[in-house]
Amino acid sequence: MLVFAASDKGGTGRSVTSANLAYHRALDGDDVCYLDFDFGSPTAPAVFDLPDVLTEAEGKGLHSYLKGKTGEPLRVDVWARTEHPVLRTRPSGSGRLVLLPGDRTGGEFVTDEENLHRCVDLVLRLKREFDVIVVDLSAGRSYAMDLALAATAPRSALARITTRWLVYHRWTRQHVMAAAELVSGKQGIVRAGVAMGHDETALSGAIRFVRAAVPDLQSPLWSQARPEQSVWMHERDRQLEAMAAGLGIGKTRALASIPLEPVLQWREQLITYEDVVDSRVANLETWQAMGDLAQRLGDDKYWGQL
Amino acid sequence: MGAQESTPRPARPVLACGEVRTCLLPTRDAVDERAAETLLRLRADERVRVSRRPNRCAVSPDVLTGVDCRLPTANGAKVRAIGTVAARAVLTEGRVLQSTAYFAAPADGPDSRRPWGYYLVRPGLLVPVGRLPAAAVAEGFLAGHRPEELDVGSVAESLLARISRAELLDYDTPLNTASTVLRWAARPAPAGSEPSLRFTVGEEGLRTVALRLPEGTAPAAVAGLCEDLALHDWLLTTVGDKLDGVRLGTDDQAAVRKVLGPLVDHLLHLWMPRARLERVLSGLWDALEETPGFTRQWDALAQRIRDQLALRALLARREALDARLTAR
Amino acid sequence: MKGALPDEGTPFRETSAEPPTASVPFSHLSLELGHLYMEDFADGPARLARHFAAVRPWADAVRAGVGPLPGGRRPRISTCFLVDDYFSRLATPAELVPPLLAAAREAGLAIDYLARESGCAAPDPARPGSAPLAESVLHRLVESPPPGSTGYRPPVGRTGWLTNGRRTPSRRTSAALDASDVWQPPSETLARGHSVFMDVELFSGPEDDRTWSCAFLASVWQLARLGLLRDNGRAVLTPVAWDPAAFPADWDALPPVVQLTPGAAPFTAYGTCSVLPGRFLPVEHAVRVVLDQVQLEPDVLDQVARRSAAEEYPLPAGVVERTSYVFPPGL
Repeated sequence: MLVFAASDKGGTGRSVTSANLAYHRALDGDDVCYLDFDFGSPTAPAVFDLPDVLTEAEGKGLHSYLKGKTGEPLRVDVWARTEHPVLRTRPSGSGRLVLLPGDRTGGEFVTDEENLHRCVDLVLRLKREFDVIVVDLSAGRSYAMDLALAATAPRSALARITTRWLVYHRWTRQHVMAAAELVSGKQGIVRAGVAMGHDETALSGAIRFVRAAVPDLQSPLWSQARPEQSVWMHERDRQLEAMAAGLGIGKTRALASIPLEPVLQWREQLITYEDVVDSRVANLETWQAMGDLAQRLGDDKYWGQL
Repeated sequence: MGAQESTPRPARPVLACGEVRTCLLPTRDAVDERAAETLLRLRADERVRVSRRPNRCAVSPDVLTGVDCRLPTANGAKVRAIGTVAARAVLTEGRVLQSTAYFAAPADGPDSRRPWGYYLVRPGLLVPVGRLPAAAVAEGFLAGHRPEELDVGSVAESLLARISRAELLDYDTPLNTASTVLRWAARPAPAGSEPSLRFTVGEEGLRTVALRLPEGTAPAAVAGLCEDLALHDWLLTTVGDKLDGVRLGTDDQAAVRKVLGPLVDHLLHLWMPRARLERVLSGLWDALEETPGFTRQWDALAQRIRDQLALRALLARREALDARLTAR
Repeated sequence: MKGALPDEGTPFRETSAEPPTASVPFSHLSLELGHLYMEDFADGPARLARHFAAVRPWADAVRAGVGPLPGGRRPRISTCFLVDDYFSRLATPAELVPPLLAAAREAGLAIDYLARESGCAAPDPARPGSAPLAESVLHRLVESPPPGSTGYRPPVGRTGWLTNGRRTPSRRTSAALDASDVWQPPSETLARGHSVFMDVELFSGPEDDRTWSCAFLASVWQLARLGLLRDNGRAVLTPVAWDPAAFPADWDALPPVVQLTPGAAPFTAYGTCSVLPGRFLPVEHAVRVVLDQVQLEPDVLDQVARRSAAEEYPLPAGVVERTSYVFPPGL
């Protein structure tokens, strides 16, 4: 399965949540690779705790590969290379977890036929080895997104691979509106995809939303609020839900809702089970929500036209 | 019209190098002979060679890629070479796909680049500008290329990519497998000494093979030997990895069967070393059978899989029986 | 190149897929008496008469240039004419060919072999299931690598363009991010001092519906005349004897190459000479760029070399050097 992670704005938790998603799928035994297409600001090495990779990827990352400067994009075995004390021991029964980092000084580029071909070749090659390929796109309608849409268009060799889109947004008015615009707006994913030959129904059926950093009003973090605050927050939450539904990104199209996680406010990282049960710095709900996201990604019940 | 010689006597190569990439064909089931021919028809006017004994094997025609660049050298010496790298694909039992890119090189060449036609009539030959430090290039090649140096791996990979785009591949593979890279370099054996082989298992799916062969061994024959080595090393690696990942002690019968089943269905019957090697090269396998003992290890793995499946079938029968007795 | 299958010396051998390479007969020279667009024919018989009258003295000069041969033997020379039925079909063979032959005869020239350009582009009707010649030749292109080519480069089959050097690098990076992004000139590989860079379009359209370019089909035509193409070892574009008095109303009813002069020297030849209007000069330059980068079957090259050596008629090693041209004034 090929998964594209998109968002309208930065700071939506797209990269960190996608990395956690990849981690959960690998824990469940899938062979997973994570492609950092967030050209210009690669965050994946930090999330996976691979401090040396940023430098190592210079001239050998995905950006260099797509531009034709190297035939072999760098691959990093996360289990083997991470400095994260928990991740270093690969759990038995887990699948492979491999990062293909971007170059730090890559920046955006205009897509042409050649890097489209290279992109297709790379995905086909990875598909031979992995169950799940997660591609983290930069925020907004980027060239990377155009490349993704062109590469998966019906005439392309990638058309035979199940492709799913995750659109991340925070749980605020502005973010909800922006996410809806990114998908259905005039410059949105669906219109752009249709212009490249995609079938509108099929493409929009392959898009789901992920709500990130959602305040869970039942959680201890928020339930301590004063009664006035609590009433106000519940009211806003209801209004937001109604607005989201009106924009076509209501609960049925939201694949998962990731609660606001204090750990992630301080540091973009993988949330491990040990963080939840041993050191207890992270919330169990976060762990569960990431797990739900990972499970639903592969569950056809949650996908298709609604 | 100049009175030139039409067919050049190729200078005897003093070095042959190549890289084999091995992977599972990305389809649910092994493909039949017709599909194999369709996949490997790299040239419209040249047939895919198919062999049915002792196993099914299809070999594509060679396709060439022109290069003009520096060769990797162990001592940093700068050697430019011009010519063509040959590449071909092999499909074994419609299930395992290999792509090999290889070249041979003579001891010396003209001191400047010739018209392209000069190289085109010497397919698969890289002609050095000046003298070729064969030992340094062989060693440098096995160690891997630096930027701006000959990249034979990319030639092999782009052939694999070309085949991988074929419409008849469904990408619904019964099991995920990592690809392996086997890089080889062969030089003539010193006079009076036996052919020899040194096989090294490296990091992340990389294997290197250093060979000393009888003078005059055809580069394509060496490529054949290395494809054979790569195929069997890949089988050992893949089956070993799969057994490594599965918790055999677990009660989760379905999970175990999910891993073991495809191994039996798709890989266990593929072990057939030296299927079609030239006799002079076939002997080199003996060394590997001695240490580490390729076939010995394979037999052990295969036996373990069969035992596990038999055991599990037995347990399943007993459980069913118990369930029936309890119900009564 | 036959490494993966058993060699001789092994007790067991499979012969399923080693077809022998067919041999073809060879003239010393294949002389092409011009090339016209369909529109030229529409201008009527006077236009054709003018054409062949202009070709005649040059054709004689070319003939004279071949001999004498060792032992006083007479050179074998055949003439041919290629009709463009690929890019447009304004008239039927029955309408077009008889006036053409008459005009040639009028000028004292005989067209021994008449060929259709589609024969280079479409599968041979005489050999069902065979590949179109243009596709075969496309698969045989091996690009001449500009210095610095390490093996990582997009294949020509994907781009549809072939050059004689290195293109200007495309500027696809936004300028602010890549300081190395300044214009660089294209260059010809092995240029003498200064470059004459050429980029040849081989085809247009998607893979399942390609339109081959005139230059590429002309390259196929040259290779076919030189007897250097085979299809799975079999000969291609073998001429079919044809009655010059009976041309069909449909181009597809005509074999790709027909022999109009009984007893003519063979169609395929050691060398070619084409007498062409000057407007074809760029096309033929492109043909030379293509021919320089076609890898032919070693067996076929050997065959031609052995045959010509046996006749003491030495051939240049390069295929391009086996072709020659005359671009006469007034054509």
